[in-house]
Amino acid sequence: MVASELTQYVVTGLLVGGVYALMSIGLALIFGVMRVVNFAQGDFMMLGMYLTYYYAVVLGIDPLVGALVTIPPFFVIGLLVHRVFLARVTGGGDPNREMDAQLILTLGMSLIITNATTMILSPMPRAIRTTYATRAFAVGPLLLNQARTYAFFMALLLAAAVYVFLTRTDLGKALRAAADDPEAASYQAINVRAMHGVAFGVGIALVAAAGGLLATYYPIEPNAAVNFIVLMFVAVVLGGLGSIPGAFVGGLAIGLVQSLTLLVLPLQLQNVGVFVAFLLVLYVRPQGLFGRRARTV
Amino acid sequence: MSLLARAVTLALALLLALPVAGPPPAVAVDDLKIALVVPLSGRWARQGQLKKMGAEMAIEEINSQGGIKALGGAKIVLREADAGDSVEKAVSAAQRVLTREKISAGIGSWLSSFTLGVTEVAERLQVPWLTLSYADSITERGFKYTFQTSPVSSAQAEQALDLVVELAKRNNQPIRKAALIGDNTAATVFFFKPLREKLLQAKGIELVVDEVWTPPLPDATSIVQKLRATQPDLVFYGATNFPDSIQVLQKVKEFGVKTHIQGVGAWLVTPEYVKTVGKELLDNIQTVVAAHPLKGQEELVKKFVQRTGEPFMTQDPLCSYAHVWLIKEAAEQAKSTDPKAIRDALAKIDLTTGPAASTLSPGRIRFDERGRRIGAVPLIVQWQNGEPFTVVPVNLATRPVVWHK
Repeated sequence: MVASELTQYVVTGLLVGGVYALMSIGLALIFGVMRVVNFAQGDFMMLGMYLTYYYAVVLGIDPLVGALVTIPPFFVIGLLVHRVFLARVTGGGDPNREMDAQLILTLGMSLIITNATTMILSPMPRAIRTTYATRAFAVGPLLLNQARTYAFFMALLLAAAVYVFLTRTDLGKALRAAADDPEAASYQAINVRAMHGVAFGVGIALVAAAGGLLATYYPIEPNAAVNFIVLMFVAVVLGGLGSIPGAFVGGLAIGLVQSLTLLVLPLQLQNVGVFVAFLLVLYVRPQGLFGRRARTV
Repeated sequence: MSLLARAVTLALALLLALPVAGPPPAVAVDDLKIALVVPLSGRWARQGQLKKMGAEMAIEEINSQGGIKALGGAKIVLREADAGDSVEKAVSAAQRVLTREKISAGIGSWLSSFTLGVTEVAERLQVPWLTLSYADSITERGFKYTFQTSPVSSAQAEQALDLVVELAKRNNQPIRKAALIGDNTAATVFFFKPLREKLLQAKGIELVVDEVWTPPLPDATSIVQKLRATQPDLVFYGATNFPDSIQVLQKVKEFGVKTHIQGVGAWLVTPEYVKTVGKELLDNIQTVVAAHPLKGQEELVKKFVQRTGEPFMTQDPLCSYAHVWLIKEAAEQAKSTDPKAIRDALAKIDLTTGPAASTLSPGRIRFDERGRRIGAVPLIVQWQNGEPFTVVPVNLATRPVVWHK
């Protein structure tokens, strides 16, 4: 194998992993702060794809910009969903019963969103036709798909913005406090329930933006979530449950492993590589890659 | 929230959480009920929806023309069930729809893997089942109630290879190198197997790329990179999952790969392809299918387009349209709605006229002892200026084939 071919596999893997990383950050944030396993995360991603599509078709907004413009409405949607549904089963009471209720609730939301989208928007796949979806940047012998490259860098920017938000702003610090120790945070006059709402809103907005970036090169259909939700969970667990940097690295690692697996295994077993790597990492570090900071953000 | 508001929310939630299929409408006692088990949710929902459109059109025609005459004008009623996105769901849907009430015959389930499961249920419950699915194994199990109207995958592979090799020769571009790329769904697997094992070699064609994946495909770079490196003259292409297929086609354009793409199935000629990748990218891509509008079917297509708003008609609605008409003919001959009687009539049927026969090339319907349609031949359909046309066989073609690199 020549070096350029190997480099192509690595770069392709990273580009694929960039969007996985952004998707996974939202899920990790929600789990880290609220301890909620959100099975509907992929469905919010799918809705983000549709909103980006309508921005492009109706308002003529380029999907790379459209992806960013999905953030405010989905943040509000996240706040509302938390207020109306999730707040009823989080933030107090028997943790075991709460966990059952949360799982059923998010799974139910996922089913409802998928089926409602199929009924209302039809199962007909759609796509945003962009020139950059079928063009590549030539870097020496390497070809980098333009849409995936743009999506990768925007994912990096958004992830960096989240990091700055969590570490440099009062609201971010309050979120982290609510994640670390809800009881102590409440003694510091932090409204833990409101922080849960913010975490859910930000988590949903991030995955919707990831969906918007994905829509620059991937068809949009009501069941798009099933192709990504498992990978999101793997990334989050691989990185260390609830850890934002962990989820980011986990997402990148999945893209990379999917790509590099092809060097040793047939294409049919591409995802086997991901799960083998996942099991190996958990065997060596049961707490995940960023396990020391597990359950914190 | 008030009790009423909670009740309304719960009812709405339950409604939306249900599969797309609804409760059965009331029917008269003597009506003939046909089960349609196809994906109406999940990644293949679009194909199921298209199949439903064809079945509904045939039923409307039959009922408006007086129903089944041998049964005193009995009407045909469709019972649809959602096969979802897995074999388990398809089998469960078939079990439900076939045991809930008396069903005279069934149609489905698009994906060969689903059909393999669903026909086991139909065989056990002794309900005749018509399918367009291609996999050889569907009619290799000694079942008495399964009727496969499409040419089987292995036969399609052989016939399609002969056709494209001949086309290439005629255009002075003989095929020396070929590639197989596709997913591991049953129809594709059975199509590729004989090509890989003997057919390509027998024609002196070197197999330079052989890549099979499990849907969904994360990225098509490695596949298309291999195509670019080996430059095959022909690519047999079997990506039944729409996002996978789009990724491959986009990547082919991105890497500037110039090769003939020969699809394996009707999934490659649905309207959403034009909307997604544009007609320029699709031009000259061809695919082998079991059915597509033929010369002389212009009125049928026009009616379908007006009725559904679809831009053109493809294999999926055409086959379910033909299957409903075929069941109607069998019921006429059986003079009964009893599934066993209809099965016996289908086994003996020899149809050369009527909508079913004129839809399924070469215009005659009869089955061998395994349930395979005798004389079924594949068609080749080619994208030309954003629309797919039948180009082979020439006597039934709606456009001449275009062949250039």
